[in-house]
Amino acid sequence: MHLQRYGLAVVSVGVASAAALLLQHFQLRDAALPTLLLAVAITSWYGGPGPAVLAAILSLMSVAYFFAPPLYSLHIEPQEYPYFIIFASFAALITWFAIIRRRAETELRQARDQLEIEVAKQTQQGDLLNLTHDSIFVRDMNAMITYWNRGAEEFYGWTRKEAIGKRPADLLRTVFPKPFEEVWQELLRTDRWEGELRHTKANGLEVIVASRWSLRRDPQGRPLAILETGNDITARKSWEEEMQALNHELAKRSSALEASNKELEAFAYSISHDLRAPLRHTAGFAELLRKSAAASLDEKSQRYLIMILESAKRMGSLIDDLLAFSRISRAEAHFSNLSLQQLVQEAMAEVGQDATDHQIVWKIDPLPEWYGDRPMLRLALVNLISNAVKFSRTRPQAKIEIGCIEHKHDHVVLFVRDNGVGFDMKYSNKLFGVFQRLHPQEAFEGTGIGLATVQRIVHRHGGRIWAEGTVGGGATFYISLSKITGAN
Amino acid sequence: MEALGRILLVEDDPKDVELTLTALDEYNLANEVVVVGDGEQALDYLYYRGNFMRRARENPAVLLLDLKLPKVDGLEVLKQIKGDENLKLIPVVVLTSSHEEKDMVASYQLGVNAYVVKPVDFHEFVNAIKELGVFWAVINEPPPGSIKKR
Repeated sequence: MHLQRYGLAVVSVGVASAAALLLQHFQLRDAALPTLLLAVAITSWYGGPGPAVLAAILSLMSVAYFFAPPLYSLHIEPQEYPYFIIFASFAALITWFAIIRRRAETELRQARDQLEIEVAKQTQQGDLLNLTHDSIFVRDMNAMITYWNRGAEEFYGWTRKEAIGKRPADLLRTVFPKPFEEVWQELLRTDRWEGELRHTKANGLEVIVASRWSLRRDPQGRPLAILETGNDITARKSWEEEMQALNHELAKRSSALEASNKELEAFAYSISHDLRAPLRHTAGFAELLRKSAAASLDEKSQRYLIMILESAKRMGSLIDDLLAFSRISRAEAHFSNLSLQQLVQEAMAEVGQDATDHQIVWKIDPLPEWYGDRPMLRLALVNLISNAVKFSRTRPQAKIEIGCIEHKHDHVVLFVRDNGVGFDMKYSNKLFGVFQRLHPQEAFEGTGIGLATVQRIVHRHGGRIWAEGTVGGGATFYISLSKITGAN
Repeated sequence: MEALGRILLVEDDPKDVELTLTALDEYNLANEVVVVGDGEQALDYLYYRGNFMRRARENPAVLLLDLKLPKVDGLEVLKQIKGDENLKLIPVVVLTSSHEEKDMVASYQLGVNAYVVKPVDFHEFVNAIKELGVFWAVINEPPPGSIKKR
């Protein structure tokens, strides 16, 4: 490369010298200067400054040797000096131009290369931005869209051509969560902003977008453009709103439930205080009357008094049982691990105190550990066992069997079977209602609330109660208890 | 007002008062009883205020307290008694119609000495009252500063 450029200097000066000599031969004098200057110019144009200097020196030597007297010697006569100075000045000027031109050319080429690199980079980024599903667009400081990626095309429904040059606020009908001025101030202060925007798509649908803005600045720090990345959160938002609405509704209902529970509690409290007092008075004064007027009352009147007393007493136990029953629903359940076996033993002991007057053969199968409200389950077992005792006491040999017919990890089925008077299956739906009785009071005492209580307890344990029986053939009561609802 | 009563009965229902007195009468304790009809009067009695300004400076041997009372209710009376240095030694027996567990827990937390649910059955009622009266007013040795047995 260098050789070629310097070679060009030698060749062009050689050719120019030869041409000048030839012209001199045809009597064309003074052609040497322009011809050699032309050679220097050609060299400097194509070869650059170094070869141009070489060409200038060679030209000077050529002039001194071939054209200036004394001929064929490099010696220069003093009177020829101005001629040589003018030639050297021209050569220097031409070389100087060549240098400037070359520098400009190099700079231009470098700039072009850089531009190419930049373009390549931008194109690559553009392609990458097109890969993402998020919508990305760039707006300049005049609020014109200058870039619009494929995500934005797909999401909003406008093509790149349609979107570029538009104002985003007009195109997307942007609704900001706060005044735009605040957004703008934050962006200028921190170079970024994040928030939820409402946009309208090309098809008119309104969407909610989690938008992130970044401000791009030039090297002098002046804002250049804003990159907006958007994420569709419409579905999440509507789901959140739905959840909120549901929660609100739930809160409303639970407070209504709480209020009605409170009311029920106040009602029960009032019953337990105010209803029992007049009963106590009725019984008390009837008793006092019986005592004070014993001598003057005939047998019939005495019997009336006894009936009053019995009724008052029965009313008292009805109220007590009803209150106990309502307490089962009102009371908070406290679940814990417990032994059903032990609970049955305790219940039998409690019932046994009233059941000593007849012979009972007990058969108790092994029972599992369980999870539940101890006092409630105990009450349920007491009720079931005392029923079994009560309705089998007419048998010469009462038999009561307690066991478990199903035991899985999340539920268990227990049964209490007796050989007592039983019941008609067609009334089985009446067994568990409050104050429902299948037997006359004279035969079997009771308020008709025991099985309703058991049912309620079982329900609170996520289970159910059912019964099988025949008239005179005994009865079996089943309760299922579930473990999963133990958490409530 | 009976100034020398050893038993202070706080009861607003006259029928209950009569039945209670009848029951206590079987042990000749009826004339030991001072009856007040609401919580305010009960506190007046204990603090020698109002109608009871001139009564003897002695505490009752026992206080039979209904919970549901006009003006100041039973639990409030109990709270004031058990929070007062001079009164807190008086044995207080709550006599109530209610089986409410809430009331019972609250009463015991305030330091009640006994909690009795009045039975509907008259015989049981009489027995309960008699036992209470006899125990607290006759058998039990009352704290210093109480009215002595006559």
